[in-house]
Amino acid sequence: MIEVRALGKTFLARRGRKPTVLTAVDNVSFAAADGQITALLGPNGAGKTTTLRILATLMQPDRGTATVGGIDVTADPMAVRAQLGVLSDARGLYTRLTARENIAYYAGLRGVATADLTARLEEMSALLDMGDLLDRATQGFSSGERMKVALARALIHDPQHLILDEPTNGLDVMSTRALRQLLAHLRSRGKCIVFSTHIMQEVEALSDRIVIVAHGRTLASGTSTELRESAGGGSLEDVFVRLTTAQVAP
Amino acid sequence: MKGAWTVFLKELRDAVRDRRSWIIALTLAMLAGPVVFVLMSNFISGLEERVAEREVIIASAERAPTLVGFLQRAGAKVVDAPPDYLDRLRSGSLQNAVIRPPEDFEDRLARGETVEVEVVYDESHDKAQPVVRTAMRMVESFNRELGTQRLLARGVSPQLLAPVQLEPLNLASTQARGAQLLFIVPWAALIVAVFGALSVAIDVTAGERERGSLEPLLANPVEATALVAGKWAVVMVYSTVIVVLTMFGFMVSMRFVNNETLSALMQLQWREVALFAAVLLPFAALMAALNMLAATFGRSFKEAQTYVSYIAMAAQFSALVPVFLTVRDAAWQLWVPSVAQLTVLMKVLRGEPLTAAHLLVPAAVCVAVTLACLWLQARLLRRESIVFSRG
Repeated sequence: MIEVRALGKTFLARRGRKPTVLTAVDNVSFAAADGQITALLGPNGAGKTTTLRILATLMQPDRGTATVGGIDVTADPMAVRAQLGVLSDARGLYTRLTARENIAYYAGLRGVATADLTARLEEMSALLDMGDLLDRATQGFSSGERMKVALARALIHDPQHLILDEPTNGLDVMSTRALRQLLAHLRSRGKCIVFSTHIMQEVEALSDRIVIVAHGRTLASGTSTELRESAGGGSLEDVFVRLTTAQVAP
Repeated sequence: MKGAWTVFLKELRDAVRDRRSWIIALTLAMLAGPVVFVLMSNFISGLEERVAEREVIIASAERAPTLVGFLQRAGAKVVDAPPDYLDRLRSGSLQNAVIRPPEDFEDRLARGETVEVEVVYDESHDKAQPVVRTAMRMVESFNRELGTQRLLARGVSPQLLAPVQLEPLNLASTQARGAQLLFIVPWAALIVAVFGALSVAIDVTAGERERGSLEPLLANPVEATALVAGKWAVVMVYSTVIVVLTMFGFMVSMRFVNNETLSALMQLQWREVALFAAVLLPFAALMAALNMLAATFGRSFKEAQTYVSYIAMAAQFSALVPVFLTVRDAAWQLWVPSVAQLTVLMKVLRGEPLTAAHLLVPAAVCVAVTLACLWLQARLLRRESIVFSRG
């Protein structure tokens, strides 16, 4: 279970002489249940990445609270990290190491026992179809291959919670399919999954619940059907456009 | 510190596979010794030869046959000055003194008058100094001989003119005398300690930012201090290997060059090599931590290189300040990193006695600064502007 309540985060941006205050997250609230895939849907710059970074304990919120599995992210970041898998916006690999070594490094940092690691590696390899990838140095991997390694490394400790920032960015059809299958598998095992995206089609294909975020605020949330009905019909895209433009007007 | 060992093993493996930086570092370590010793040895043998030959250069030798005769009797090889000797003295292609007797040399000599003999040289070419001194000394002894003869001709004892007899007793041991240019040896060792592990220090810090692997790394339940400690340990291992190899290269080259004057100038046996390592390793620890701290500000490898090169330059050249200011044994020297190391290493080479303070004070300063840098770096890794802005 991941819960975010009235989250706010501002940055000091230095453009030219005067530092200006940028509000990245103004008021974001949502709850993501176990056994469900929750999508944060919003245009670029809506505050999705910042929200996920706060959940990953890499940023401190200015206002509001965020909890992962009932633990507050600011109160005990280490405990939150321990039960969280993160596929961040940056998914850099160590290019002189093989995929297996990249994944084993994170397993080591998370204290995964060697016997468990072997079993987990086999499982991830089967789920993500990366058999021949494992023992190659990651130098020159395609973005799909990089995503698979980054995902396997984020999941190597079998976390209860998983957050993914724009997971399908730069992926081809086959890689997106592999990702979708993996997420469905994790959902069936009762995991709590949150991902962000700005692509409409992805949301309907991947998620159970949708949280629409724009200008740092939560505008609506519910299943795809609920959203369409409450906003007076049309496609999800129509709903999205209506909600986000209505917000800009005042 | 949970996780530091895992970080250490991973970074070590990563660094070992970075073949290009290994090759550069090893080349630096292996070449430092031979280059330094061959250069020094050539320099010193150059000095020796010229002094031994006692070549005396005279412009218009035909004006002063008496002087030429005296010089030849004294065992000098008299050589005519080339026509463009002034230019050649200035440019350094002629590194000697040129004796210039005046036109009326013999006439004035015959009349018993004082003759002005010019000795032309360029002091800015340091190789020339001993040879110039020899040339001057020869003219002076000619002067003394002539004076003695004139006194004797008038029935005066030459002793009347020498109430004081100078008896030079040089306190500097043979080793200390040639030590003016000896700073090159510890300086080369210092440079290796400064530059040896530079690329690894950048790779484990700015490299993480450039690759975009820092953000996911920090999402692991490991304290930033453990990450920093593990990374620093790898840079330190790298640095240690390079410093030890360099010292080994120094010993081997010293044997090969086999220049007696050089061996008389400095002590470099196992004891000295061990002392070198003891002085350089804490310094390498400091450079590792300082370079990592500076490189953390770099969003890319290249940007970090710029920052780190300032530090490397400062470390490299501040070491020479006491050498050029000819400060010796000032109390502050032991408290300034890099200056302290060069000072103590010079003492080691000169075979001067060392006190515990010579080893402990610089080491303590290095350890303290190292810890401060590592602590600061761990704090930097919590800063959002560092974690999230990429090159």
